[in-house]
Amino acid sequence: MAKSTSSASAGNNNTNVEKIVSGEAPLEFVKEGVSFISKCKKPNQKEYMKIIRAVGIGFVGIGIIGYAIKLIHIPIRYLIV
Amino acid sequence: MSTAVPPGGQRTLQKRRQAQNAKENKLKQTPTSARAAGFGGSSNNILKIFTDEASNGLRVDPLAVLFLAVGFIFSVVALHVIAKMTGKLF
Amino acid sequence: MAGFRIIELAAPFLPIMPEIELPYDKLPFDDKVVYTILIGLFYIFSQLPIAGINTNGITSNAIEGDPLYYLRGIFAMGPSKTILEFGLFPIVSSTLILQLLAGMKLIKVNFKNSQDRQLFQSLTKIVSVFLYIILTNIFIATGYFGANLSLLSILLINFQIVSMGIFTILLVEIIDKSYGFGSGIMCITVMNTATNFVDNVFGVASINVDTVVGGNYTESRGAFINLTQNLRSSRFSLIGGIVSAFTRDYLPNLTHVSIVALIFFIVCYWQNYNMEVTIRSTRTRNINNVYPIRMLYTGGLSIYFSFILIALINISIYVFLNITHLSNKYYVLENNTLLIPKFPFNLLTPPKAFYPDLFTKQILTLLILPIFIIITSCWFSLQWMNISGASPKDIALQFKEQSITIAGKREQAIKQELNNKIRPAAIAGGLVLGGIVSLGELLGLKGDAAGIVVAVTSGFALLELVTIEYQQSGGKSALTQILGAPGGKY
Repeated sequence: MAKSTSSASAGNNNTNVEKIVSGEAPLEFVKEGVSFISKCKKPNQKEYMKIIRAVGIGFVGIGIIGYAIKLIHIPIRYLIV
Repeated sequence: MSTAVPPGGQRTLQKRRQAQNAKENKLKQTPTSARAAGFGGSSNNILKIFTDEASNGLRVDPLAVLFLAVGFIFSVVALHVIAKMTGKLF
Repeated sequence: MAGFRIIELAAPFLPIMPEIELPYDKLPFDDKVVYTILIGLFYIFSQLPIAGINTNGITSNAIEGDPLYYLRGIFAMGPSKTILEFGLFPIVSSTLILQLLAGMKLIKVNFKNSQDRQLFQSLTKIVSVFLYIILTNIFIATGYFGANLSLLSILLINFQIVSMGIFTILLVEIIDKSYGFGSGIMCITVMNTATNFVDNVFGVASINVDTVVGGNYTESRGAFINLTQNLRSSRFSLIGGIVSAFTRDYLPNLTHVSIVALIFFIVCYWQNYNMEVTIRSTRTRNINNVYPIRMLYTGGLSIYFSFILIALINISIYVFLNITHLSNKYYVLENNTLLIPKFPFNLLTPPKAFYPDLFTKQILTLLILPIFIIITSCWFSLQWMNISGASPKDIALQFKEQSITIAGKREQAIKQELNNKIRPAAIAGGLVLGGIVSLGELLGLKGDAAGIVVAVTSGFALLELVTIEYQQSGGKSALTQILGAPGGKY
C-alpha cells in the first residue's frame, strides 16, 4: 500500500512504473531505454579524444599523488608491524 | 434550444486543471528530498549527506577535526609500537 | 503513537553528535582544492593495519579470510584488517537507503522544515556510526580478526575501527558542507579508486607470494612492474613470464588492469551520450538553445545501490553461516586471503576469476548476478530520478521560473515531453551501467568494475561542479596558474 501511494506521488507516468516494478512489462521497459540510446547524440572522435585526455590525465595525476602517500606506508608498516 | 451545459468542454477541463493544481500543491508541500525542497543535498548524480547545521550539536571547526584525525592516526601507530615493544599481541 | 516519526529517534543523540560548522563565507576556490585534496590524502594515508591483532595478511585459518574482497573497490575500503576495514560502506549505505526511503515517503520527513532536515541528516550520521559498531562486532564474533581475542583486543579493535569511522563521517561532512567540492563520499571514492588503479599498474611494493606459488619469491603488486620484473627474472622463461604477468590471480595482473582501463574508456564515452532538447526563452524571440539530457542520468548511484544490496545480502549470509557453524563447510579460503562462499551461497558473489572459477564453481552466478544488478540498478535509477529534485516535474518547474519553453511545445506539454525524455534516460543509464558492471565482475575484476564505474561517473559529476566554481571564481586561482590547465583536478 505504502509503495503504491509513494509511486503515485512520485511521477507522472506512475502506472507505467508500477507495471514495470511488478514485472508485467519488462520488455517494453528495456525497449524504451534502448530506443533512447539509439536516439542519443554521441560524441565524435575528436571530442572524445579531448575528454579522454583531460579526464585521463586528471585521474592518473590524482592516482599518482595518492600513490605517493601510499608509498609512505611501506616503511611505516615495516617499522610498526 | 437547450441551454443545459453539454458534458465535457470548458468546465470539465477547468475542474481537471483545478484537481491537478491541488494535487501538485499537495505534492509541493512535502518534497521528496532536500534538493527537491530547494536546500541543496543529493542531486540526480551526486550523493550528499549534509546540508544544514544541526543547531544544538557539538559544533566543531573543520581544521580541529583534521588535527584530531591526524592525532588519532598517531595513536594507532603508538598502539602498534607498544604492541611491538611488549612483544605480544595484547 | 500516531505522531511518532523515525527521524525523532535522532533527537536524543543531537547534543553529543559532533557537527562541522558551516563556513561563514563562501570559501575561495583554492581553499576548496586544498581541503579536498588534504582530506583525500588523509583518507588514503589512514589505511594502517589494526593494532592488537595478527595482521601479516596470511592466515591458515579459513575464517580469517576476507569475505568482502569485491566490495573494497566501490566503497573505498582499505585492505583487509586495516582500520578502514569498512571504508565508506556504512556511510554510503545509510545515506542512500535513508534518502531513498524518505523520497518514497516510507520515512516521514518534511524537507521544507529546517528542524526536520537537521534531524534527518543526524539520523543518517547515527545510523552510519551504528553500522560501523555492528559490522565490527559481527566480524569480531565470526573470528575474522582472529580466534580467542582477549577483551582488551576486542575493545581496541572497536576503538580503532569505530573512531576511524566517526572521523571518516566528519571528513565527508567537511567536504559536504562546502569546504570542498560537491560530495565528500564521491571525492574520497574518486581519489581512492585512482590511487588503487595506479597501485595496481605501477605499484612497486613487493609482496611475499611463497604461500601461493611455493618457493621463496616476492612479486610486485603493480601488474606492469611485475611484467618487467618477470622478463628479467630467472624464475620464468620469456613466454612464461609474460603469461604469468597476464594471468596471475593472487595479485593484479595485466588482463585485469586492461579490462579496468577499457571500462574507464567506455564509461567516459557513455558519459557524453545525451539527448538534446531544443529550448527557447518565452521572453526573447528567436534565440534557441539546447538542454542536454544525459543518458547516465543518475550517474553511478544506481551501481552503489546494487552493491549495497549485494553487500547486505552477502554479509547476512556470512552471519547466518557463522551462527549455524556451517562456515567451515560453505566457505573456502583461496590464495590465503579471499574467503569465497560455495553454492548455494555464492549466487551474488562476484567470482575470483572468469576461468576456471566462474565455470567450475559458480556457473549459476553467470545468470543471477547480471540479472540482479541490472534490475536493481534500473529500479533505483527510476526511483532516484523521481525523488532527487531532478524529476520531469521539477525541471518543468525550473523552466517555468526561468521562462523557458521547449521549442514547438505548449507550456502545458513541457512536463510530459520531459517525462518522455528523462524516464528512458534513467532506464538506459541503469541498463548500460548495470550491464557493464556485471560483465566486468563476471570477468573476475573482484569489485574493480563497480569501483571504476562509480569513480568515473562521480569524477564527471565533480568535474562539472569544479568547472562551475572555477568560472564563478573568475578564473582567479593561484593553483591553476601554477598547474596550468583549469579544471584538471578531477
